[in-house]
Amino acid sequence: MPTHYEPQDTPFTNPLYGHQRNPTRLLFQHELNRYHPAPDTPGAGVYPYVVTTYRLTEHFTAGGMSRWTPYLSELQPEFFCEVGPELAAERKLEHGGWATVVTARNAVEARVLVTDRMRPLRVQGRSVHQIGMPYHWGPNGYSTGDSANELASMALDPNVHIQEVKALTADIRPGRRPRGRERVALVEEYRRRAGVTERTGTED
Amino acid sequence: MAADGQPSRKGFFTDTSVCIGCKACEVACKEWNQVPEDGLDFLASSFDNSGRLSADTWRHVAFIEQRQPLGHQDPGVGRPEGGAGDAPGPVDLGMPSFDLPGQRTGEDGGSGGGDFRWLMSSDVCKHCTSAACLDVCPTGALFRTEFDTVVVQEDICNGCGYCVPACPYGVIDRREVDGRAWKCTLCYDRLGDGLEPACAKACPTDSIQFGDLDELRERAERRVEDLQEAGVSSARLYGEDPGNGVDGAGAFFLLLDEPEVYGLPPDPVVTTRDLPSMWRHAGAAAVVLLAGAAAAFAGRRS
Repeated sequence: MPTHYEPQDTPFTNPLYGHQRNPTRLLFQHELNRYHPAPDTPGAGVYPYVVTTYRLTEHFTAGGMSRWTPYLSELQPEFFCEVGPELAAERKLEHGGWATVVTARNAVEARVLVTDRMRPLRVQGRSVHQIGMPYHWGPNGYSTGDSANELASMALDPNVHIQEVKALTADIRPGRRPRGRERVALVEEYRRRAGVTERTGTED
Repeated sequence: MAADGQPSRKGFFTDTSVCIGCKACEVACKEWNQVPEDGLDFLASSFDNSGRLSADTWRHVAFIEQRQPLGHQDPGVGRPEGGAGDAPGPVDLGMPSFDLPGQRTGEDGGSGGGDFRWLMSSDVCKHCTSAACLDVCPTGALFRTEFDTVVVQEDICNGCGYCVPACPYGVIDRREVDGRAWKCTLCYDRLGDGLEPACAKACPTDSIQFGDLDELRERAERRVEDLQEAGVSSARLYGEDPGNGVDGAGAFFLLLDEPEVYGLPPDPVVTTRDLPSMWRHAGAAAVVLLAGAAAAFAGRRS
């Protein structure tokens, strides 16, 4: 029987079913792989926005080949995040400027593209903002940038072991991310505010 | 092939209503013509990071995001405009309906679902019938080919740059590293071998169509009629009219909005059009000055 489970990171409770998350999913307890608090629990609002990742026409997978090619790199030269005008106003994000996206795993920086294509979702009577991120960048190559995969958690589906990189939650703030230790400190500060422990998000 | 043995005039018809913004034309052009990379600049201009045509960008895909509704039951190429009696509206099939996910969104509870469209258009050198770049070139580097296209010979160009301000579309440009002028050649080397230009070959939706200009014009007229009949009343041709300021472009476009929206000049005029009249006026002024000077000397003597 088909059923519906919410993703590991989600701002919403499962509308269909008593189990919030798939009880057969595979989780990995690791200090770099912390999960977000369940919706409607204290600390869930620390990561209030929905993130999804996708491809661009110009690049291939994580960009390991296409980011080394000048003709493709110049067409999409930088890692960016797409936000709607409402979210940009809420978080004072500047079109063409920098933003830092934070999860319990890591913080990455990306250029901001404010676009009407990103619309707030209206679910369960409230609206939640989306952040769209292509995942083609990394530290090497001709065109470089932070990797969207840094934000995702390892929570695998039981059948084919695919991690959840298409649906997660995060916070976004204007400006570039801190470097070195300060980057770790920022992620830890978010975890502290959300009350994230090694048990968080492991319930079904 | 025309009756006199000359090949017929070749050109591009770029139908932007089916452009999907893949930029394959930009890459294919650069690969074939060995055009250098144009800089890693993030322009925050939708998905367009090329910006404009230049010496190192001979095809440029513009991305325009608009807060305008698409028609319902529409393939995504335009909208029936309000009150147009002849434009067919959405057809009610009597099926039960509900909103698409994400349609009922927004802070207002979502009456504005779908009021967005994304225009994409691949721009290129227009290969004008009256080409100002050709008129002003002092070395003969720019020449008109047997296909009635306008091409720069890079081994003759001396980099004077007269052609750059002469172009009414801002297409031709000088390459900074070598100073010479570069632009689309309509793949002159491929045409000679019976091949179509690289961009048209690479275009997956046939948004870029290459062929005999007469035939392309007919095809474009039919396409506009089809779109208008389907309710896309904003469809129009740009640059195809032999009576326009450049006497008709060899590369013309089907647009879904005003040309300015795409960054195209609405009424371009060949910049050398007024040159004869300017020379006549300058000549008349010179004659008057000379006559005045002569009169002044003649007056002193008496």
